[in-house]
Amino acid sequence: MYRYDEFDHAFVSARVEQFKDQVERRLSGELTEEQFRPLRLMNGVYLQLHAYMLRVAVPYGTLSSRQMHKLAHIARRYDRGYGHFTTRQNIQYNWPALKDIPAVLDELASVEMHALQTSGNCIRNVTADHFAGAAADEVGDPRPYAEILRQWSSMHPEFSYLPRKFKIAVTGADRDRAAIQVHDIGLHLKKNEAGELGFAVYVGGGQGRTPMVAKKIRDFLPVEDLLTYTTAIVRVYNLNGRRDNKYKARIKILVHETGTEEITRQIETEWQAIKETDLKLPQQDVDAIDTYFAPPNLVQRPEGWSGLAAARKADHAFSAWVDQNVTPHKNPDYGVVTISLKPIGGIPGDATDAQMDLVADIAEKFSYDEIRVSHEQNLVLPHVAIADLRIVYDLLLTDGLATANAGLITDIISCPGLDYCALATARSIPVAQRISERFGNPERQADIGELKLKISGCINACGHHHVGHIGILGVEKKGEELYQISLGGSGDEICTIGDITGRGFSSEEIVDAIETIVDRYLEIRTDKEETFLTTYRRVGAAPFKDALYSEVANAA
Amino acid sequence: MSDIEQPAGELWGREGFREDPYVTAETLEEAGDAPAVILPLGAWLGLTEETRNASNRKIGVLVAPGESIEPLLPILDSIPVIALQFPAFNDGRSYSKAELIKNQHHFKGELRAVGDVLIDQVAYMLRTGFDTMKVNHAVTLNRLAGHNLHDVPGYYQPGRGSHTVSGTYSWRRVPGA
Ligand code: HEM
Ligand code: SF4
Repeated sequence: MYRYDEFDHAFVSARVEQFKDQVERRLSGELTEEQFRPLRLMNGVYLQLHAYMLRVAVPYGTLSSRQMHKLAHIARRYDRGYGHFTTRQNIQYNWPALKDIPAVLDELASVEMHALQTSGNCIRNVTADHFAGAAADEVGDPRPYAEILRQWSSMHPEFSYLPRKFKIAVTGADRDRAAIQVHDIGLHLKKNEAGELGFAVYVGGGQGRTPMVAKKIRDFLPVEDLLTYTTAIVRVYNLNGRRDNKYKARIKILVHETGTEEITRQIETEWQAIKETDLKLPQQDVDAIDTYFAPPNLVQRPEGWSGLAAARKADHAFSAWVDQNVTPHKNPDYGVVTISLKPIGGIPGDATDAQMDLVADIAEKFSYDEIRVSHEQNLVLPHVAIADLRIVYDLLLTDGLATANAGLITDIISCPGLDYCALATARSIPVAQRISERFGNPERQADIGELKLKISGCINACGHHHVGHIGILGVEKKGEELYQISLGGSGDEICTIGDITGRGFSSEEIVDAIETIVDRYLEIRTDKEETFLTTYRRVGAAPFKDALYSEVANAA
Repeated sequence: MSDIEQPAGELWGREGFREDPYVTAETLEEAGDAPAVILPLGAWLGLTEETRNASNRKIGVLVAPGESIEPLLPILDSIPVIALQFPAFNDGRSYSKAELIKNQHHFKGELRAVGDVLIDQVAYMLRTGFDTMKVNHAVTLNRLAGHNLHDVPGYYQPGRGSHTVSGTYSWRRVPGA
């Protein structure tokens, strides 16, 4: 993984020193909360319902054991013993005291981490496929490019006061695990016919109140043009994006209002003017960054296969976990392990300090010191030998981390909602917990199969409900929480925004309504191989609406 | 001329504070016989070429964030000063314009930032190509007087007032000419 050099260290410590000074001035009253606001936001400090919240960047979701131990330590020492992993591959602490935040930033800097650009109208933490560098289906590792973009976008003088926040995601496989088409810029690393690496470039995707799927504006951009082309896109956006209305300020609106063809023309024109400037990437620099992400020297462990079969036969629960939470690795002796942070009835994405320490220890011994945070709010051990799966499973089991539900209906993404968030119009965590309990039976959820359920507590869509196979949006109506359901959304390579079924359901009704949908799916799927999403795409919304609203009408 | 609009504030550049020779006015008439004037873009474009190039006075142009710089680009050589407005600190359009004017179109005159200039933005402004700032924010004035630019020791992008360092990546720079 990437390691800071002196340049990076000096940069981050200068920023921490500046923020220390600013916090002291705030605590002494020299700065008002209003004056302090833009300064704290630049350092990832939000003001939430009950307290300040600190959002720490985990660039493209990659962590070492040492870094994970540090995150555990911060949770223990400065928070209430837990942290919350987010859909942007970051971690949030919900209860730090403002006076402690400079110390937390110092601790982070000691393990090459920071909280910069995790808020504000700048280019945010760049996200990438959480299986990067490990997945069997990968064309190239997207992280070196995410790292180059991360560096280039850090305190960018031209792009720190954009109309709105700006998110870039990179994937390196045809199977899109980074939801690039709902980002401001989505980059798909691929090879052209000559075997050279480049990117398909997507622009103008996003969720929030006006969800939109990104438009592909270039089928192949050579790697050397990564920064010049990105500069051209962000410049056109900075100059022309709307600033009169915060809800129309994202690039998706500019792309929509300008038209894809015209915006592409503007971007290409700007790019022609800067294509040959200092930002053209020399191959040697790309190679130098690339070496940081060289795959670990994996020891051949062929003995795993025979042992695995026996272990699976002996323990049904272990076998189910392997089926559900282990994904093929480039090296057939290895697997990619998803550690579910979705225990049945738990809070999606939360991890205690002890759990973080445990994961760090396991990664050090069994995953070449690497951990990933997925945008599905889970953790990933990217390089686990098949031969070690059993022991890794047993270790995870000791602290509730072996739930075999990756990709299943209880692997729910949920935003914090009304329990923490000042903008929320409804609770989302308790709804996620009740749904998880309703479908918690392992056989039942395995039978239902792949089903992505996502919940947001307001229209800002932090819980990605628009791209949930089943999406739930909490709204407030006449003082009551009401939950709107959408179906058929998907954040992968065939990206779609879900269709709203109709009137919403009360907090009491919502879990039954989800069960009604699932039961209808089980009735009409052609066989177990036909997933919920495929079925929905075949039959459309009608059978589900029928089930939902006629049943409710009958009950009334 | 009592109705000359003179924005409060002091002119600052890398060398420190200096006297501002320009007055700002809505029209040339309003400016009376002031030897150096800055006019809004509309008024400036309304002048004849002869007036703009008259040797006895300098006429600069003030551009609001929502206005296009396109009409200026072919005639940059004839403009002594371009002032780009920052009516609110979070309106960042003028940074991109600075980049276009100075670095892509090689404007040789003075590029000036006017409006809500916060101390945390001064370094960004210098790096995108601004030469001077008309500062009225009290904290900013104080910090500038104390030579405290809130800058960082290294930059991850090319920009004005910085140079490359050998042995590291092509996009990195350190402060200094
Ligand atoms: C609790 C404090 C939070 C606040 C105040 C907050 C606020 C917001 C706001 C205002 C937006 C809409 C932005 C826009 O209009 O473009 C948004 C979007 C978003 N937030 Fe949050 N959020 C919070 C927590 C979270 C958490 C915990 C996550 C991750 C689990 C998250 C992930 C996102 C994502 C992915 C989006 C969608 C961005 C898009 O439109 O593409 N947020 N958030
Ligand atoms: S979706 Fe709304 S309620 Fe949920 S975290 Fe985002 S802003 Fe808060």
